[in-house]
Amino acid sequence: MLQAAISTGTIPMTGPVTSTEDRRLAAACAAGDTKIFEELYRRFGDRMKSIAWNHLGNAADAEDAVQETFLKIHRAASTYSGEASFSTWAYRILVNTCYDVLRKRRRRIDEAPLEDEEGIVVERSAPNVDDTKRMTLRKLLDELPEQRRTVFSLFEIEGLSHAEIGEILGISEGNSKWILFSTKKELQEKWNRTRS
Amino acid sequence: MNIDCSNLDDLLFDASPLAMRTAEAHAAECPACAAKLEEWNDISNTAQSLHTTWQSDLLWPRIERALREEKRRSPMRGFSRIAAAALLTVGLGGTVWFAVREQVHDANFDKKIITMSALDEVEKAEKVHVDAIAKLEKLADAKLEDSETPLMVSYKEKLMLLDDAIADCQANIDRNRQNAHLREQLQAMYSEKQQTLRDVLREDTNVSNQ
Repeated sequence: MLQAAISTGTIPMTGPVTSTEDRRLAAACAAGDTKIFEELYRRFGDRMKSIAWNHLGNAADAEDAVQETFLKIHRAASTYSGEASFSTWAYRILVNTCYDVLRKRRRRIDEAPLEDEEGIVVERSAPNVDDTKRMTLRKLLDELPEQRRTVFSLFEIEGLSHAEIGEILGISEGNSKWILFSTKKELQEKWNRTRS
Repeated sequence: MNIDCSNLDDLLFDASPLAMRTAEAHAAECPACAAKLEEWNDISNTAQSLHTTWQSDLLWPRIERALREEKRRSPMRGFSRIAAAALLTVGLGGTVWFAVREQVHDANFDKKIITMSALDEVEKAEKVHVDAIAKLEKLADAKLEDSETPLMVSYKEKLMLLDDAIADCQANIDRNRQNAHLREQLQAMYSEKQQTLRDVLREDTNVSNQ
């Protein structure tokens, strides 16, 4: 029944779902049901890869982070409390995994364009934006503190709501909104200088 | 809605569709705010282009393998934890048992050492006593052999009985050196023998004086 609900898309990708459904999903993950994991991967995988890529800057590290996140979901699913939606909970694990990777390697996001990565062909949601602007924004994002970069990435790049971002980062919705605004103001000033 | 340039940030912070429409309406009449709004939207549009994904046919099989491995290891991990806990319990229990046993052993050992030490002291004293009796016996033997008086025969028989009793008692003591009751009996027998030997020697002196 759960699998049917997932495969028919009645379990949404984002946003709150009934906690009963989420708990059943968590229980299936805790039991190590690989079919459920595969469905989760099909539904959330692309966004997870993108979130990881925008934090870590290269496809290899992003894929490692996504894999590690699935393993962490399996290990921790039995502790899922249902306070946040399951997808939000999974994104929180992913973001924390990315922070761990960043702290470990202590290096900046690779500035090389993704197209340069061997064997990787990227798909972009707005292909008409020129590479120069994209590179500029990536560079500016790279200079931001972790939390500001995450709020900006999750809202502007991944399209999550402030409520979801608040749950992922453990901050209030209003705080997420304020952080986004002040980050965009800061980026705007630098963007202006860089562009001129 | 009448707004001025100072309200632009409030509208951008609000970011609701209505707030953005209001900002655009103001920007249509204000070139400075129009430039700011354009940059603001440019950043958002560029940000959307950073949503990046790629075909990765090997990622799911990799994750699946890792999950299967994780699942396979989980019971082992559980078993390992139980085994580790059991091992720890046994180890701690063993250590405590050994420590207690050692303490008891040490206490017994100390007690034994003390007992052995005391026993050595007793046996040394006994040996001195026996040596002293042996000297008396040598002195009395000649007299006992030479004299056939009824008294001397009686002393002789008494000494022979005492020697038999002493030999029995000593045999028992050899089997249980720490038996104080036997030692007291032995001590009493030696004392009796010593006294008898003295009586023999005194009797001989009395006879000589007569």
